[in-house]
Amino acid sequence: MKFYLLFTLFIAGAAQAAESGTTVKTDSVRSAPFSDAKIITTLPAATRVEILKKDGGWYQIKSPQGSGWIRMLSLRRGDVKAATGPISGLASLASGRAGTGKIVATTGIRGLNEEELKAAHYDEKQIALLESSTSSRVEAQKYAAKARLKARQIDYLAEPGASK
Amino acid sequence: MNKLTAKIFVIAALALLLQTAQAFDFGQELRNAARELQKPGGSANLGGYSEEEEVAIGRQIAGNLLGAAPLVQDKKLQKYVNNVGRWVAIQSERPDLVWHFGVIDSSDINAFAAPGGYIFVTRGLYKLLNDEAELAGVLAHEIGHVISKHHLKILQQGKMLDLGSKLLGKQVGDDKIGRLIGSGAEIVSRSLDKGAEFEADRIGVVLAARAGYDAYGLPGVLQEIGHTAADDSSVALLFKTHPHPDDRLAKLGEAMDSRFDGLNGQTAAKRLYKIK
Repeated sequence: MKFYLLFTLFIAGAAQAAESGTTVKTDSVRSAPFSDAKIITTLPAATRVEILKKDGGWYQIKSPQGSGWIRMLSLRRGDVKAATGPISGLASLASGRAGTGKIVATTGIRGLNEEELKAAHYDEKQIALLESSTSSRVEAQKYAAKARLKARQIDYLAEPGASK
Repeated sequence: MNKLTAKIFVIAALALLLQTAQAFDFGQELRNAARELQKPGGSANLGGYSEEEEVAIGRQIAGNLLGAAPLVQDKKLQKYVNNVGRWVAIQSERPDLVWHFGVIDSSDINAFAAPGGYIFVTRGLYKLLNDEAELAGVLAHEIGHVISKHHLKILQQGKMLDLGSKLLGKQVGDDKIGRLIGSGAEIVSRSLDKGAEFEADRIGVVLAARAGYDAYGLPGVLQEIGHTAADDSSVALLFKTHPHPDDRLAKLGEAMDSRFDGLNGQTAAKRLYKIK
Protein backbone atom coordinates (compact mmCIF):
# COMPACT_ATOMS: atom_id res chain seq x y z
CA MET A 1 0.00 0.00 0.00
CA LYS A 2 2.76 2.34 1.01
CA PHE A 3 4.64 1.47 -2.16
CA TYR A 4 1.56 2.12 -4.25
CA LEU A 5 1.18 5.54 -2.69
CA LEU A 6 4.80 6.39 -3.35
CA PHE A 7 4.43 5.18 -6.91
CA THR A 8 1.39 7.42 -7.45
CA LEU A 9 3.29 10.37 -6.05
CA PHE A 10 6.18 9.63 -8.38
CA ILE A 11 3.89 9.49 -11.41
CA ALA A 12 2.22 12.74 -10.41
CA GLY A 13 5.60 14.38 -9.99
CA ALA A 14 6.79 13.15 -13.37
CA ALA A 15 3.67 14.41 -15.07
CA GLN A 16 4.21 17.83 -13.56
CA ALA A 17 7.84 17.99 -14.61
CA ALA A 18 7.09 17.24 -18.26
CA GLU A 19 7.06 20.47 -20.17
CA SER A 20 5.71 21.10 -23.57
CA GLY A 21 6.81 23.20 -26.45
CA THR A 22 5.86 24.05 -30.00
CA THR A 23 8.13 24.25 -33.02
CA VAL A 24 8.14 27.66 -34.68
CA LYS A 25 9.86 26.49 -37.83
CA THR A 26 10.69 23.31 -39.68
CA ASP A 27 13.79 21.74 -38.20
CA SER A 28 15.56 18.43 -37.82
CA VAL A 29 15.52 16.31 -34.72
CA ARG A 30 18.98 14.84 -34.17
CA SER A 31 20.43 11.97 -32.19
CA ALA A 32 22.67 14.28 -30.14
CA PRO A 33 22.89 18.02 -29.36
CA PHE A 34 25.26 18.74 -32.26
CA SER A 35 24.60 20.17 -35.69
CA ASP A 36 26.33 17.22 -37.39
CA ALA A 37 24.60 14.50 -35.40
CA LYS A 38 22.41 12.00 -37.24
CA ILE A 39 18.97 13.26 -38.26
CA ILE A 40 16.18 11.20 -36.74
CA THR A 41 13.24 13.07 -38.18
CA THR A 42 12.20 16.49 -39.38
CA LEU A 43 9.36 18.31 -37.65
CA PRO A 44 7.24 20.89 -39.43
CA ALA A 45 6.41 24.20 -37.76
CA ALA A 46 3.64 24.13 -35.13
CA THR A 47 4.40 20.60 -33.95
CA ARG A 48 3.80 20.09 -30.29
CA VAL A 49 6.51 18.25 -28.42
CA GLU A 50 7.48 17.31 -24.93
CA ILE A 51 10.66 18.95 -23.64
CA LEU A 52 12.83 16.66 -21.55
CA LYS A 53 15.93 18.73 -20.94
CA LYS A 54 18.19 21.50 -22.16
CA ASP A 55 21.81 21.33 -23.23
CA GLY A 56 23.34 24.55 -24.46
CA GLY A 57 21.39 25.65 -27.51
CA TRP A 58 19.47 22.40 -27.72
CA TYR A 59 16.34 20.88 -26.21
CA GLN A 60 15.91 17.13 -25.88
CA ILE A 61 12.36 16.42 -26.99
CA LYS A 62 9.87 13.63 -27.37
CA SER A 63 7.30 13.61 -30.16
CA PRO A 64 5.19 10.98 -31.84
CA GLN A 65 7.30 11.45 -34.99
CA GLY A 66 10.51 10.74 -33.15
CA SER A 67 12.62 11.79 -30.19
CA GLY A 68 15.99 13.47 -30.00
CA TRP A 69 17.54 16.92 -29.94
CA ILE A 70 16.29 20.08 -31.63
CA ARG A 71 17.70 23.61 -31.70
CA MET A 72 16.40 25.70 -28.81
CA LEU A 73 15.50 28.59 -31.07
CA SER A 74 13.37 26.40 -33.34
CA LEU A 75 11.08 25.83 -30.40
CA ARG A 76 9.03 27.93 -28.00
CA ARG A 77 8.30 26.64 -24.59
CA GLY A 78 4.58 26.66 -24.13
CA ASP A 79 1.88 24.89 -22.28
CA VAL A 80 -0.08 22.31 -24.17
CA LYS A 81 -3.40 22.11 -22.50
CA ALA A 82 -6.12 20.20 -24.30
CA ALA A 83 -8.47 22.66 -22.66
CA THR A 84 -7.15 25.53 -24.77
CA GLY A 85 -9.66 24.43 -27.38
CA PRO A 86 -9.48 24.30 -31.13
CA ILE A 87 -6.64 26.77 -31.47
CA SER A 88 -3.43 24.85 -31.77
CA GLY A 89 0.19 25.20 -32.55
CA LEU A 90 1.37 28.46 -33.97
CA ALA A 91 -2.07 29.97 -33.85
CA SER A 92 -2.23 29.68 -30.10
CA LEU A 93 1.31 30.92 -29.77
CA ALA A 94 0.47 33.95 -31.81
CA SER A 95 -2.88 34.78 -30.31
CA GLY A 96 -2.68 33.49 -26.79
CA ARG A 97 0.95 34.47 -26.52
CA ALA A 98 1.41 31.43 -24.34
CA GLY A 99 -1.15 33.01 -22.10
CA THR A 100 -1.97 29.74 -20.44
CA GLY A 101 1.57 29.39 -19.24
CA LYS A 102 2.70 29.06 -15.73
CA ILE A 103 1.88 31.76 -13.26
CA VAL A 104 4.95 32.88 -11.43
CA ALA A 105 4.26 32.75 -7.73
CA THR A 106 3.47 36.13 -6.34
CA THR A 107 4.65 36.02 -2.80
CA GLY A 108 3.06 39.23 -1.65
CA ILE A 109 6.16 41.31 -2.18
CA ARG A 110 5.10 44.31 -4.14
CA GLY A 111 5.98 44.72 -7.76
CA LEU A 112 7.45 47.74 -9.41
CA ASN A 113 5.16 49.80 -11.58
CA GLU A 114 5.69 52.98 -13.54
CA GLU A 115 4.04 55.19 -10.92
CA GLU A 116 6.42 53.93 -8.27
CA LEU A 117 9.37 54.51 -10.54
CA LYS A 118 8.22 58.04 -11.29
CA ALA A 119 7.78 58.86 -7.63
CA ALA A 120 11.10 57.28 -6.61
CA HIS A 121 13.39 59.36 -4.43
CA TYR A 122 17.15 59.16 -4.29
CA ASP A 123 18.53 56.95 -1.56
CA GLU A 124 22.19 57.67 -0.77
CA LYS A 125 22.46 54.85 1.79
CA GLN A 126 21.39 52.32 -0.80
CA ILE A 127 23.88 53.69 -3.33
CA ALA A 128 26.63 53.36 -0.73
CA LEU A 129 25.53 49.78 -0.09
CA LEU A 130 25.53 49.07 -3.82
CA GLU A 131 29.04 50.48 -4.19
CA SER A 132 30.31 48.46 -1.25
CA SER A 133 29.77 45.27 -3.27
CA THR A 134 31.48 46.46 -6.43
CA SER A 135 34.05 44.05 -7.84
CA SER A 136 37.32 45.19 -9.32
CA ARG A 137 38.55 43.86 -12.63
CA VAL A 138 41.08 41.62 -10.89
CA GLU A 139 38.52 40.31 -8.41
CA ALA A 140 36.16 39.38 -11.22
CA GLN A 141 38.93 37.68 -13.19
CA LYS A 142 39.88 35.61 -10.16
CA TYR A 143 36.28 34.61 -9.57
CA ALA A 144 35.88 33.58 -13.21
CA ALA A 145 39.05 31.50 -13.07
CA LYS A 146 37.59 29.54 -10.14
CA ALA A 147 34.90 28.20 -12.47
CA ARG A 148 37.48 27.75 -15.24
CA LEU A 149 35.81 30.41 -17.34
CA LYS A 150 38.12 31.52 -20.11
CA ALA A 151 37.67 34.63 -22.23
CA ARG A 152 37.29 34.03 -25.97
CA GLN A 153 37.28 36.25 -29.01
CA ILE A 154 33.90 36.30 -30.69
CA ASP A 155 32.68 38.93 -33.14
CA TYR A 156 29.47 40.82 -32.54
CA LEU A 157 26.44 39.56 -34.44
CA ALA A 158 25.16 41.49 -37.41
CA GLU A 159 21.59 42.69 -37.40
CA PRO A 160 19.52 40.11 -39.30
CA GLY A 161 18.71 41.33 -42.78
CA ALA A 162 21.13 44.25 -42.58
CA SER A 163 23.44 44.55 -45.55
CA LYS A 164 27.06 44.06 -44.73
CA MET B 1 31.47 98.50 -37.98
CA ASN B 2 29.46 100.39 -40.55
CA LYS B 3 26.85 98.78 -42.78
CA LEU B 4 29.11 98.33 -45.77
CA THR B 5 31.93 96.60 -43.94
CA ALA B 6 29.32 94.38 -42.24
CA LYS B 7 27.97 93.39 -45.67
CA ILE B 8 31.44 92.64 -47.01
CA PHE B 9 32.18 90.63 -43.93
CA VAL B 10 29.04 88.52 -44.36
CA ILE B 11 29.78 87.88 -48.03
CA ALA B 12 33.33 86.85 -47.24
CA ALA B 13 32.14 84.55 -44.51
CA LEU B 14 29.62 82.93 -46.84
CA ALA B 15 32.26 82.42 -49.53
CA LEU B 16 34.54 80.80 -47.00
CA LEU B 17 31.71 78.56 -45.82
CA LEU B 18 30.93 77.45 -49.36
CA GLN B 19 34.55 76.63 -49.98
CA THR B 20 34.81 74.52 -46.86
CA ALA B 21 31.55 72.81 -47.68
CA GLN B 22 32.95 71.77 -51.03
CA ALA B 23 36.20 70.51 -49.63
CA PHE B 24 34.34 68.59 -46.98
CA ASP B 25 32.89 65.35 -48.34
CA PHE B 26 29.62 65.46 -46.54
CA GLY B 27 28.48 62.08 -47.89
CA GLN B 28 31.62 60.42 -46.65
CA GLU B 29 31.23 62.00 -43.22
CA LEU B 30 27.67 60.75 -43.01
CA ARG B 31 28.75 57.25 -43.94
CA ASN B 32 31.50 57.37 -41.32
CA ALA B 33 29.04 58.51 -38.68
CA ALA B 34 26.60 55.78 -39.65
CA ARG B 35 29.32 53.16 -39.49
CA GLU B 36 30.37 54.49 -36.11
CA LEU B 37 26.80 54.21 -34.86
CA GLN B 38 26.41 50.65 -36.12
CA LYS B 39 29.30 49.41 -34.03
CA PRO B 40 28.06 48.31 -30.63
CA GLY B 41 29.24 50.98 -28.28
CA GLY B 42 30.45 52.93 -31.26
CA SER B 43 27.89 55.57 -30.53
CA ALA B 44 29.96 56.26 -27.42
CA ASN B 45 32.02 58.58 -29.56
CA LEU B 46 28.93 60.55 -30.39
CA GLY B 47 27.51 60.45 -26.89
CA GLY B 48 28.33 64.02 -26.05
CA TYR B 49 28.91 63.51 -22.33
CA SER B 50 32.18 62.78 -20.63
CA GLU B 51 32.45 59.53 -18.71
CA GLU B 52 32.35 61.45 -15.44
CA GLU B 53 29.13 63.16 -16.46
CA GLU B 54 27.62 59.88 -17.62
CA VAL B 55 28.46 58.19 -14.32
CA ALA B 56 27.07 61.12 -12.32
CA ILE B 57 23.82 60.88 -14.28
CA GLY B 58 23.64 57.09 -13.86
CA ARG B 59 24.41 57.27 -10.14
CA GLN B 60 21.51 59.62 -9.55
CA ILE B 61 19.11 57.44 -11.54
CA ALA B 62 20.35 54.29 -9.78
CA GLY B 63 19.85 55.98 -6.41
CA ASN B 64 16.31 56.92 -7.40
CA LEU B 65 15.55 53.37 -8.49
CA LEU B 66 16.91 52.03 -5.20
CA GLY B 67 14.59 54.47 -3.46
CA ALA B 68 11.68 52.59 -5.03
CA ALA B 69 13.10 49.09 -4.62
CA PRO B 70 16.07 48.63 -2.25
CA LEU B 71 18.77 45.99 -2.61
CA VAL B 72 17.95 42.51 -1.38
CA GLN B 73 19.62 42.28 2.03
CA ASP B 74 22.08 39.55 1.23
CA LYS B 75 25.66 40.69 0.95
CA LYS B 76 26.86 37.38 -0.54
CA LEU B 77 24.24 37.57 -3.28
CA GLN B 78 25.21 41.15 -4.15
CA LYS B 79 28.91 40.28 -4.25
CA TYR B 80 28.15 37.27 -6.43
CA VAL B 81 26.29 39.27 -9.10
CA ASN B 82 29.09 41.85 -9.09
CA ASN B 83 31.71 39.17 -9.66
CA VAL B 84 29.74 37.63 -12.54
CA GLY B 85 28.64 40.96 -14.00
CA ARG B 86 32.06 42.57 -13.95
CA TRP B 87 33.62 39.53 -15.62
CA VAL B 88 31.09 39.82 -18.44
CA ALA B 89 31.57 43.60 -18.67
CA ILE B 90 35.33 43.10 -19.04
CA GLN B 91 34.54 41.45 -22.39
CA SER B 92 32.94 44.68 -23.65
CA GLU B 93 34.48 47.87 -25.02
CA ARG B 94 34.32 49.43 -21.59
CA PRO B 95 36.21 46.99 -19.36
CA ASP B 96 37.53 49.70 -17.09
CA LEU B 97 34.30 51.45 -16.34
CA VAL B 98 33.46 50.91 -12.66
CA TRP B 99 30.45 48.65 -13.13
CA HIS B 100 27.88 48.17 -10.38
CA PHE B 101 25.38 45.33 -10.22
CA GLY B 102 22.58 44.73 -7.77
CA VAL B 103 19.57 42.52 -7.08
CA ILE B 104 16.63 44.66 -6.01
CA ASP B 105 13.77 43.61 -3.81
CA SER B 106 10.82 43.33 -6.14
CA SER B 107 8.71 40.34 -7.14
CA ASP B 108 8.46 41.81 -10.64
CA ILE B 109 10.38 40.08 -13.40
CA ASN B 110 12.64 42.75 -14.86
CA ALA B 111 16.15 44.09 -15.26
CA PHE B 112 17.32 47.67 -15.57
CA ALA B 113 20.32 49.62 -16.77
CA ALA B 114 21.27 53.21 -16.07
CA PRO B 115 24.07 55.12 -17.83
CA GLY B 116 27.57 54.77 -16.51
CA GLY B 117 27.38 51.07 -15.68
CA TYR B 118 24.60 50.73 -13.09
CA ILE B 119 22.72 47.45 -13.61
CA PHE B 120 19.93 45.81 -11.65
CA VAL B 121 17.91 42.61 -11.78
CA THR B 122 14.83 42.06 -9.68
CA ARG B 123 14.53 39.27 -7.15
CA GLY B 124 11.65 37.97 -9.29
CA LEU B 125 13.86 37.58 -12.34
CA TYR B 126 16.76 36.20 -10.35
CA LYS B 127 14.52 33.43 -9.01
CA LEU B 128 13.76 32.26 -12.54
CA LEU B 129 17.42 31.60 -13.29
CA ASN B 130 18.65 28.03 -13.63
CA ASP B 131 22.37 28.61 -13.90
CA GLU B 132 25.12 31.24 -13.92
CA ALA B 133 25.16 31.40 -17.73
CA GLU B 134 21.57 32.66 -17.62
CA LEU B 135 22.52 35.34 -15.09
CA ALA B 136 25.48 36.30 -17.29
CA GLY B 137 23.16 36.53 -20.31
CA VAL B 138 20.69 38.83 -18.54
CA LEU B 139 23.46 41.09 -17.20
CA ALA B 140 25.11 41.09 -20.63
CA HIS B 141 21.89 42.36 -22.25
CA GLU B 142 21.87 45.29 -19.80
CA ILE B 143 25.60 45.88 -20.34
CA GLY B 144 24.66 46.10 -24.03
CA HIS B 145 22.32 49.01 -23.26
CA VAL B 146 25.07 50.81 -21.35
CA ILE B 147 27.81 50.42 -23.96
CA SER B 148 25.37 51.44 -26.71
CA LYS B 149 24.25 54.39 -24.54
CA HIS B 150 20.61 53.70 -25.31
CA HIS B 151 19.22 55.46 -22.24
CA LEU B 152 21.74 58.27 -22.36
CA LYS B 153 20.59 59.10 -25.88
CA ILE B 154 16.98 59.32 -24.73
CA LEU B 155 17.98 61.61 -21.89
CA GLN B 156 19.83 63.79 -24.33
CA GLN B 157 16.89 64.02 -26.68
CA GLY B 158 14.41 64.90 -23.99
CA LYS B 159 14.75 66.10 -20.48
CA MET B 160 18.47 66.48 -20.70
CA LEU B 161 18.35 69.21 -23.32
CA ASP B 162 17.09 71.27 -20.49
CA LEU B 163 19.98 70.16 -18.36
CA GLY B 164 22.34 71.04 -21.18
CA SER B 165 21.17 74.63 -21.19
CA LYS B 166 21.45 74.77 -17.42
CA LEU B 167 24.98 73.51 -17.67
CA LEU B 168 25.85 76.09 -20.28
CA GLY B 169 24.44 78.84 -18.14
CA LYS B 170 26.59 78.14 -15.13
CA GLN B 171 29.56 75.96 -14.54
CA VAL B 172 28.49 72.94 -12.51
CA GLY B 173 30.65 70.15 -11.23
CA ASP B 174 30.04 66.50 -12.00
CA ASP B 175 28.68 66.02 -8.51
CA LYS B 176 25.84 68.39 -9.28
CA ILE B 177 24.98 66.91 -12.66
CA GLY B 178 23.26 63.96 -11.04
CA ARG B 179 21.23 66.20 -8.79
CA LEU B 180 19.99 68.17 -11.74
CA ILE B 181 18.32 64.97 -12.96
CA GLY B 182 16.05 65.19 -9.95
CA SER B 183 13.89 62.39 -8.65
CA GLY B 184 12.24 59.56 -10.52
CA ALA B 185 13.66 56.51 -12.22
CA GLU B 186 11.16 55.98 -15.01
CA ILE B 187 13.98 56.33 -17.53
CA VAL B 188 15.20 52.82 -16.63
CA SER B 189 11.89 51.33 -17.71
CA ARG B 190 11.37 53.70 -20.59
CA SER B 191 10.50 51.83 -23.78
CA LEU B 192 13.47 51.92 -26.06
CA ASP B 193 12.83 51.35 -29.71
CA LYS B 194 12.57 47.68 -30.57
CA GLY B 195 15.82 47.84 -32.49
CA ALA B 196 17.68 48.84 -29.32
CA GLU B 197 16.32 45.81 -27.46
CA PHE B 198 17.22 43.43 -30.27
CA GLU B 199 20.68 45.02 -30.42
CA ALA B 200 21.16 44.54 -26.66
CA ASP B 201 20.10 40.89 -27.08
CA ARG B 202 22.69 40.33 -29.80
CA ILE B 203 25.38 42.02 -27.70
CA GLY B 204 24.23 40.01 -24.68
CA VAL B 205 24.73 36.56 -26.19
CA VAL B 206 28.14 37.53 -27.57
CA LEU B 207 29.45 39.05 -24.32
CA ALA B 208 28.31 36.01 -22.30
CA ALA B 209 29.93 33.67 -24.82
CA ARG B 210 33.14 35.74 -24.79
CA ALA B 211 33.17 35.34 -21.01
CA GLY B 212 33.24 31.57 -21.51
CA TYR B 213 29.59 30.92 -20.78
CA ASP B 214 27.06 28.96 -22.79
CA ALA B 215 25.76 31.50 -25.32
CA TYR B 216 22.20 30.28 -24.84
CA GLY B 217 21.76 31.62 -21.31
CA LEU B 218 19.87 34.73 -22.38
CA PRO B 219 17.65 32.85 -24.91
CA GLY B 220 16.94 30.34 -22.13
CA VAL B 221 15.68 33.09 -19.84
CA LEU B 222 13.59 34.57 -22.67
CA GLN B 223 12.01 31.12 -23.19
CA GLU B 224 11.17 31.04 -19.51
CA ILE B 225 9.68 34.54 -19.47
CA GLY B 226 7.93 33.94 -22.79
CA HIS B 227 5.68 31.32 -21.38
CA THR B 228 4.80 33.33 -18.31
CA ALA B 229 1.19 34.37 -18.67
CA ALA B 230 0.96 37.77 -20.32
CA ASP B 231 -1.67 38.79 -17.79
CA ASP B 232 0.61 37.99 -14.88
CA SER B 233 1.30 41.30 -13.14
CA SER B 234 4.92 40.36 -12.51
CA VAL B 235 5.71 40.79 -16.20
CA ALA B 236 3.34 43.70 -16.90
CA LEU B 237 6.03 46.38 -17.01
CA LEU B 238 8.54 44.18 -18.85
CA PHE B 239 6.01 43.21 -21.54
CA LYS B 240 4.90 46.80 -21.90
CA THR B 241 8.39 48.15 -22.46
CA HIS B 242 10.02 45.32 -24.42
CA PRO B 243 9.14 43.39 -27.55
CA HIS B 244 7.54 40.04 -26.63
CA PRO B 245 10.12 37.37 -25.74
CA ASP B 246 8.88 35.25 -28.65
CA ASP B 247 9.79 38.07 -31.06
CA ARG B 248 13.14 38.55 -29.39
CA LEU B 249 13.83 34.81 -29.67
CA ALA B 250 12.88 34.88 -33.34
CA LYS B 251 15.33 37.75 -33.99
CA LEU B 252 18.05 36.03 -31.98
CA GLY B 253 17.42 32.84 -33.92
CA GLU B 254 18.05 34.66 -37.18
CA ALA B 255 21.14 36.45 -35.87
CA MET B 256 22.69 33.46 -34.09
CA ASP B 257 21.74 30.84 -36.66
CA SER B 258 24.52 28.24 -36.46
CA ARG B 259 27.19 30.74 -35.42
CA PHE B 260 27.60 29.20 -31.98
CA ASP B 261 27.64 25.57 -33.10
CA GLY B 262 30.50 23.71 -31.54
CA LEU B 263 31.34 26.63 -29.29
CA ASN B 264 30.73 25.02 -25.98
CA GLY B 265 30.42 27.23 -22.99
CA GLN B 266 29.90 26.66 -19.32
CA THR B 267 26.59 26.95 -17.55
CA ALA B 268 28.31 27.03 -14.15
CA ALA B 269 25.00 25.77 -12.80
CA LYS B 270 26.45 24.57 -9.51
CA ARG B 271 27.77 28.00 -8.72
CA LEU B 272 24.49 29.88 -9.11
CA TYR B 273 23.90 31.54 -5.75
CA LYS B 274 20.62 30.40 -4.27
CA ILE B 275 18.53 33.32 -3.19
CA LYS B 276 16.81 33.00 0.16
